[in-house]
Amino acid sequence: MNEPRQEGRVKVLVPVDGSANSDRVIDQLLAELAGGTALELVLLNVQIPVDSGHARMFVSAEDVEAYHREEGLQALKSARDKLDAAGAKYRWHVAVGHIADTIIRFAREQGIDRIVMGTHGRTALTHLLLGSVASDVSRKADLPVTLIK
Amino acid sequence: MLETALDPSFWVAVLQIIAIDILLGGDNAIVIALACRRLPEQQRKQGIFWGVVGAIALRVILIFFALQLLAIPFLKIVGGLLLLWIGIKLLQPEEEDGHGNIEGSTHLIGAIRTIVIADAVMSLDNVIAVAAAAKGDLGLVIFGILVSIPIVVWGSKFVLKLMDRLPVVITFGGALLGWIAGDMFLGDASIKPHLEGQPGWLKYLSSSAGALLVVIVGTWLARRAAPPQPPVEVVASGAEGGKDHE
Repeated sequence: MNEPRQEGRVKVLVPVDGSANSDRVIDQLLAELAGGTALELVLLNVQIPVDSGHARMFVSAEDVEAYHREEGLQALKSARDKLDAAGAKYRWHVAVGHIADTIIRFAREQGIDRIVMGTHGRTALTHLLLGSVASDVSRKADLPVTLIK
Repeated sequence: MLETALDPSFWVAVLQIIAIDILLGGDNAIVIALACRRLPEQQRKQGIFWGVVGAIALRVILIFFALQLLAIPFLKIVGGLLLLWIGIKLLQPEEEDGHGNIEGSTHLIGAIRTIVIADAVMSLDNVIAVAAAAKGDLGLVIFGILVSIPIVVWGSKFVLKLMDRLPVVITFGGALLGWIAGDMFLGDASIKPHLEGQPGWLKYLSSSAGALLVVIVGTWLARRAAPPQPPVEVVASGAEGGKDHE
């Protein structure tokens, strides 16, 4: 899974949640690519595990995994459509875990050079109540994080 | 009526019930969605609808029994112990191999059966906690069920996100369950008569002890169980586009 880095390319991790904000991140990266910057794009959607409480007692591991996969593909769709339309090359992944923590661990595992993400996610309400995943990631990550408004 | 509305302990109970519904009600909707995943489109909607109806009906029935049972001597002590256990369990990290073998059914009846069994088990903790917080006030019990309906139907994603972003919410929830348990012990029919004339702070002492017990034991167990951090669990991957790719 861990592809050898291509010479001279900056490996960019793009956490995506299917929101308009993550669409803007893709636009920004496409603009950078069009400007001649050599970027290797890795899209990542993180699904929160449905393990709270008793859910796992009643549903098989395969079903839970398939559910995460479907939800993840759904969240990635609009970003992938944009990249496909532009003919860009990228890899994509759906992972399961605590969101901010998983983004940072994944970046470390994949030898990522830089994280680019939106400042806020899907709903204004969760943002208001909970703050943003982006601020968590930028605080905890040990590599450059670019936030796109 | 106005008197109840001005009584602070009434509003404390209301807030407690809302918190319990949020903390213990979130996973029902996810199980319903998961159990109906393999059904054909048309039947899936039916399955989800009847699953939600079943969940709510079961809650009403269970809470009715819970209220009757809690009036019997010693059963509030049992209920309090159960609440302490539920609180400690809330603080534990997910178990990797806790999965059941029930397959997502391809038949409507099978899916509804899964949902109803799951609902019965998953509502039990909620019902015990709500019954305890309401202290026999039927209005509060009905309020608790009404609040839980939108959470069962729409709130699961939000609850998951809340717990992901603010893990301290879970600790707070555990402490709340311990607090209610401590209060419940003193309300038991076998203990209450002995408390006549005892100072009012005894209630708070018992509640605080319950909350502390849950947080200390729960955190200790969770620390002990914490596995070394495994690699990120990736469930799907792919590579697209670009002429230079393969």
